[in-house]
Amino acid sequence: MYMIIDVAKCVGCFNCMISCKDEHVGNSWLPYTQEQQKHDQKWINPVKHERGAAPFTEMNFVTGLCFHCENAACAKAQPNSVNRRKDGVVLLDAEKAKGNKALVASCPYGKISWNEELETAQKCTMCAHLLDGGWKEPRCVQACPLRALSVVSCDEAEFEEMKKSQQLEPLTDGKNAPRVYYRNLYKLNTCFISGALAVKEGGIEKAAGDAEVRLFKDGKLVTMAATDFFGEFKIDRLPKNSGKYEVECSVDGYEPVKCAVTVTDESPNLDVIVFG
Amino acid sequence: MENNLAFQAMQSYEGAVKDGDMFAIDALLAELSAAYPEFKKDMSQYDTTVMLKLRDGSKARLLTFSGGTVKGEPGVGKNADIEMIFEDENRARKILAGLIACKMDVVVSAMKNGGFCLTGPDDSAMWFSTLIRKAFSFDILYQKNFGTKMPNGEMRYVTGTNGGPLFVYVKDDKIVRVTPMDFDESDAEPWTITARGMKFTPPKRTTITPYAVGWKSLVYSPDRLLYPLKRVDFDPNGERNPQNRGISGYERISWDEALDIVSDEIMRVRLEHGPGSVFAVNSSHHNWGYVGYYHSAMKRFFNLLGVTEMLANPDSWEGFAWGAVHHYGGSGRRGATEPFSTVEDCMKNAEMIVYWSADPESTSGNYAGQEGTVRREWVKQLGIPVVHIDPYLNSTAAFMGGRWLTPKPGTDVAMALAIAHVWLKTGAYDKDYVAKRTIGLDKWQAYIFGETDGVEKTPEWQETKTGIPARTVRALAEAWGSRKTYLACGGIHSFGGACRGSYGTEWARAMVCLMAMQGLGKEGVNFGGLQMGTPLDTRFWFPGYADGGFSGDFMGTGAGFQMYNRMPMTNSINSEYQRIPRLRIPEAILDGKTSANNYSNSSVHGQFLEVKYPAPGHSLVRMLYKYGGSYFGTQPESNRFAKMYRSDKLDMVVSQSVWMEGETKFADIILPACTNFERWDIGEFASCAGYIDKSYLQNNHRVVHMEHKCIEPLGESKSDYDIFLAICNRLGMGQVFSEGGSDFDWVKRFFNYTDLAEKVSWTEFMEKGYYVVPPLPENRRDPLALKWFADGGKMNTPEQTTAPSEYYGRFAEGLQTPSGKFEFESGTLKRFDPNDPERPPICTWIPSWEGPESELYQKYKLQLISPHPKFSYHTMGDGKDSTVNDIDEHRMLINGYRYWIFRMNPEDAAARGVKHGEVVEIYNDRGSVLCGLEVTNRLPKGVVHSYESCADYQPIGVPGESPETNGCINILTPSRFITKRSHGLSVNACLVEVRKWNGEG
Repeated sequence: MYMIIDVAKCVGCFNCMISCKDEHVGNSWLPYTQEQQKHDQKWINPVKHERGAAPFTEMNFVTGLCFHCENAACAKAQPNSVNRRKDGVVLLDAEKAKGNKALVASCPYGKISWNEELETAQKCTMCAHLLDGGWKEPRCVQACPLRALSVVSCDEAEFEEMKKSQQLEPLTDGKNAPRVYYRNLYKLNTCFISGALAVKEGGIEKAAGDAEVRLFKDGKLVTMAATDFFGEFKIDRLPKNSGKYEVECSVDGYEPVKCAVTVTDESPNLDVIVFG
Repeated sequence: MENNLAFQAMQSYEGAVKDGDMFAIDALLAELSAAYPEFKKDMSQYDTTVMLKLRDGSKARLLTFSGGTVKGEPGVGKNADIEMIFEDENRARKILAGLIACKMDVVVSAMKNGGFCLTGPDDSAMWFSTLIRKAFSFDILYQKNFGTKMPNGEMRYVTGTNGGPLFVYVKDDKIVRVTPMDFDESDAEPWTITARGMKFTPPKRTTITPYAVGWKSLVYSPDRLLYPLKRVDFDPNGERNPQNRGISGYERISWDEALDIVSDEIMRVRLEHGPGSVFAVNSSHHNWGYVGYYHSAMKRFFNLLGVTEMLANPDSWEGFAWGAVHHYGGSGRRGATEPFSTVEDCMKNAEMIVYWSADPESTSGNYAGQEGTVRREWVKQLGIPVVHIDPYLNSTAAFMGGRWLTPKPGTDVAMALAIAHVWLKTGAYDKDYVAKRTIGLDKWQAYIFGETDGVEKTPEWQETKTGIPARTVRALAEAWGSRKTYLACGGIHSFGGACRGSYGTEWARAMVCLMAMQGLGKEGVNFGGLQMGTPLDTRFWFPGYADGGFSGDFMGTGAGFQMYNRMPMTNSINSEYQRIPRLRIPEAILDGKTSANNYSNSSVHGQFLEVKYPAPGHSLVRMLYKYGGSYFGTQPESNRFAKMYRSDKLDMVVSQSVWMEGETKFADIILPACTNFERWDIGEFASCAGYIDKSYLQNNHRVVHMEHKCIEPLGESKSDYDIFLAICNRLGMGQVFSEGGSDFDWVKRFFNYTDLAEKVSWTEFMEKGYYVVPPLPENRRDPLALKWFADGGKMNTPEQTTAPSEYYGRFAEGLQTPSGKFEFESGTLKRFDPNDPERPPICTWIPSWEGPESELYQKYKLQLISPHPKFSYHTMGDGKDSTVNDIDEHRMLINGYRYWIFRMNPEDAAARGVKHGEVVEIYNDRGSVLCGLEVTNRLPKGVVHSYESCADYQPIGVPGESPETNGCINILTPSRFITKRSHGLSVNACLVEVRKWNGEG
């Protein structure tokens, strides 16, 4: 079983986190896991990310949970405390997790948390107790309005194909062979350049729609874009901290205007460029 | 074995009703008592004697109850404590058959006309009446033949919430989990819309909101009220210490003591002071359900008492209700238009969608889970350009993408006028439509061109008001003028924070005027943002909550539209004429007088009537009876309420509530109500009817659902129904309230008298818990909203909200305006007061009294908007130690306390030296509130944001006079009316300042 998370389909409702709590707070599902601590643990949680500034601000949520790694660091650290099931779900041994704070530290992604009340290490179980009882999906997926979260059951080869065709990426470095993959992660880890073009006609500043914008890096054309009816453009998927670019804006009947722009870890917005 | 005997006993009794000794009900009761310990427990409540007899005494049977057993004997000539009297044998037979089947036509008629009477002490007589009806439903109530048994031994029940219906999994009387519904193979297949060569079908399931998913944590909240409570220093016969309301603690008392105090006090104040002395106040959103809702049980109860009613303001609609109606009618929808088939039309024909102060992703429209989300995803697939106008990058804008415009709060009208200016100058509007279907554009044009006030409302002019560049607005106007455009205002299509600010009337008016210029009702030109107007079956009738339930109030609820001819019940009416406008409750109590306008659903001009308090011949209010959630979070300038509660002008305050929160802490007596998970009810997904007729058209599926009694009430809490009934028994009107039955009987009655009973059996419905109404085939879908008007024809949609008398020409031809046309210059406003500077006959720009052009701006430089919240439904879901509080975007954990979130732009934060994640104090002359600060680029400079309606109220010192820590943002908002002669709130006209909080939180 793999989980795919589409960043572009997440509306930030947090149903996943609340469903997880609904299933696990106040319910013990031993031998899978004990109860989740009511407020102080989250086994799944969307994290808000903003890109750009008004009026080009974007907001997206990136949902994090245990990646159920095939080569899980927790399993490497404590082979006897971690069970990797045939379906790929990685479970902590509920007995051996008790009093075992080292398990928390063993996950490089911080996805194992400590239950202060029960003094035990815990994490997402993919609702294995439900899957074993015939459920098709874990609770977080079942409550997701657009199925921004989804699970697929397929073999490794099929999933490799899916990764390519759907441009799936891991959230982190991809080491340890995670089984949770993301779509549209560029909204988290790339930047965009935005700007507006206008022309001055009869004393009135008018939006320059359908104008051409070219983006150059070190003199080479990177990409081209057209302005919308607001005379605005947005060039996306530029690597963070990719440095200096040159933007060339062309409006019919006017000399092109060039300007320099630097991409840091923030998305830059150019002031309006007025032709004429 | 026992079960079989019970069934046999029931069958044998049914036979007896037909042709045997119909009064020999003791055999059935004895059998059930032997079979079911719970029934025996119910039966052992009273040791008493009951006579069932014919009026002339010719037939009678005496039942003697003792210790949970019953004996029957011939009763002619004997006496009993309780008598159930039937007029004659024929009627007796019909009444008993009616009671068995919950077919109440004959029963109600006989009750009204003396053919069926119950005498004796109220409590025991009601007990007996309810007991025999329970006996007739023993298979459900005692044999527990309801719900779906799951393979692992859990039971799956169904209930409803204002965030969507739920499957409720229960084991050992404990809720295990709640989930949205995945439909099964036998459920109806959904509809398909074909648009631009693609086919779109919604998934075969329901969606829910986070406050629905979190309901289990609300049921088991540590803040649940489990016992009746009395304020420790409240003595109804001595010192009442009203000044300590909100300060003193509580002690547990028995139900008998609590109910005696409340009912004695109701009688005392009415005997001593007369009509009007009891004041009934309810929150808008208690538990979901048709029987238990405030339009139903509560309404009937307070009508029977006789109370000063709370005059509700059209709170989410304000600007549309007090403004837009004057241009095109729609009073029954509070200024909205009909929604029919607009989703399909938008997907097929619209070339642009403008969301103006519209965030259905956050507000779910109203009650509709996440149903609209998939349709907005389809818009992305269809590639229809989208524009969002909102000072806050709301969730809909963030999800859909498209251009985000950020006018300063309260200035949207200026932008709208500039758009109209561009259209008028360039001719980019529908001249034929304007000529044939509208009047008065010349008057508006003269104003827009500056002929009447010397100011031309150009895009450049609006830039000085809104802060939006002229070129951007000109570009929007040109695009809008050349593309078929849908306009969404608010979550459904006549809401929006912009209509709840200073002169929000003018904004709403501007919205409808713009749409009229573009040919409102033509294909691709209508109101909506894919949130309402799905192609579902509008012919299938099942009531919504505002249809009045069993209130029997055919004037004060929607019951007079639909329910009266469907379900027989005795009526109720409030004989008192005194009303207090909700927005002036504290003034009414503290000053002893107030007034506001009355919003009328039935006519446009009805809103010109002024309601004055006190009413002639009525008493001032002496007792306040509060039902449901907190006003501190939801009502403007809400510290007023703390001052009111602590006044000796109120002899007594009762709170009937599920949780200890907000105003509950200001009550003298607290009556603990249970949730709808703990009682019987019935309902439909997102269906309120009444003021949003056919509101289920927000859904992808019509889901009519049972509300099973999933678990027993926690502690000593009781259903609202049982609380009201217990008080009524003490006032001698238990029968009048209940018609002799329990809330379960009413549920079954509603089932029987709606279209549901034709589609599914009671047994099947009780087991499965829901029914999906199949959509109509494509060739029978509803005609497109307002197309009939655009075409100049007669109304052909299933719209029912306009009263026939509201057409001044021929019925159903034209709009609900004096001329029947769209009126840019409003005839109703001209008649009322053509010189009202705050609401002239044409839509105008009026600077905010609390905005950048006001004097107060020198002192407070930040404009606060406080829209409806995303993660709670008003106060439902927030606080109460629920899991909703763990949502990082809902509350912020700082030093162990979950603060309400306050949002501001990085520049504004830096200028004030405050940082993300800190506790800040937001303040103005009205008070101060502590929040956790989120620094965000979702706001432009100068605008700050925090949702309205946290659930609790936690002042750090004297209530009403000290900083509040739980996030009651409405402490800061103005109580001024949206426009002078209205009753509408203007919370989004609010200036504040922010500073770092260094004190104790």
